[in-house]
Amino acid sequence: MGSQTSLTISIVMIALFGMAIMGFAINFASDNNANMSISDSSEVSSVYSSQSGNLSSFKDESEDTYTSILDTTVEPGSDVIPSSAPMSLTRGSLLSTAKNMVTIPIVYIFGGWGSPFAIFFTTLLSIISLLFILYIYKTWKGNP
Amino acid sequence: MAYLYNLPNATSGIDAVMIQTMGSFPWLGALILMFVYLVVFLGGITRQKNKIGTADYSAWAIIASIATLIPALLLSVNGGYIQLDWLIIVVGLNILSAIWFFLDKKPSEI
Repeated sequence: MGSQTSLTISIVMIALFGMAIMGFAINFASDNNANMSISDSSEVSSVYSSQSGNLSSFKDESEDTYTSILDTTVEPGSDVIPSSAPMSLTRGSLLSTAKNMVTIPIVYIFGGWGSPFAIFFTTLLSIISLLFILYIYKTWKGNP
Repeated sequence: MAYLYNLPNATSGIDAVMIQTMGSFPWLGALILMFVYLVVFLGGITRQKNKIGTADYSAWAIIASIATLIPALLLSVNGGYIQLDWLIIVVGLNILSAIWFFLDKKPSEI
């Protein structure tokens, strides 16, 4: 982890890996008429579908970011662009993606969001959010 | 001699022995999966350390969790081997390993 780009790519890769593993497990069970499937759990099904939605939103946001970078102008004599829109890719859907990914481990391994250990993941997500904010601000405005 | 549980009927195949043993001791499936995970994880780390002097812990964690998922899925095809919760825990372990692996690496190393 070293920059906004690498953090963004890491979280997208985590989400894609999770989707691939869940998709493989669900399809394996479906293809083999398995006695049980992870999609029998309502928690897993809801994470799987909301994760698909978040990744679709990420695709839309990346297109918006691409457009905003093309539309960006820098005023003569200005140090920075008037808006931080080109750095907006990591907002919203990616943070939801990170939260979705830890939902299955936290519910099935650590006993749910209300469990004492859940504070670990809550703090981890908070740090990731803070890193996003700092990366965007420092990339846009420079070191304060 | 009295046994703590009924001895499995060994004349009808190893699968019947497994199912009957799991009927008495449901954690057997989880222990088999834990065995697979630890063999790959600890074996991989030790072998790599012996070979090049250092080990890539996060990579071996993700390899071990995928190697555990495969027998877990195979065991889930028929009933009686493992429980649904354990299958989801293995998937959760994969996701935790992926979080460790991808936050540990630079994009150029993935």
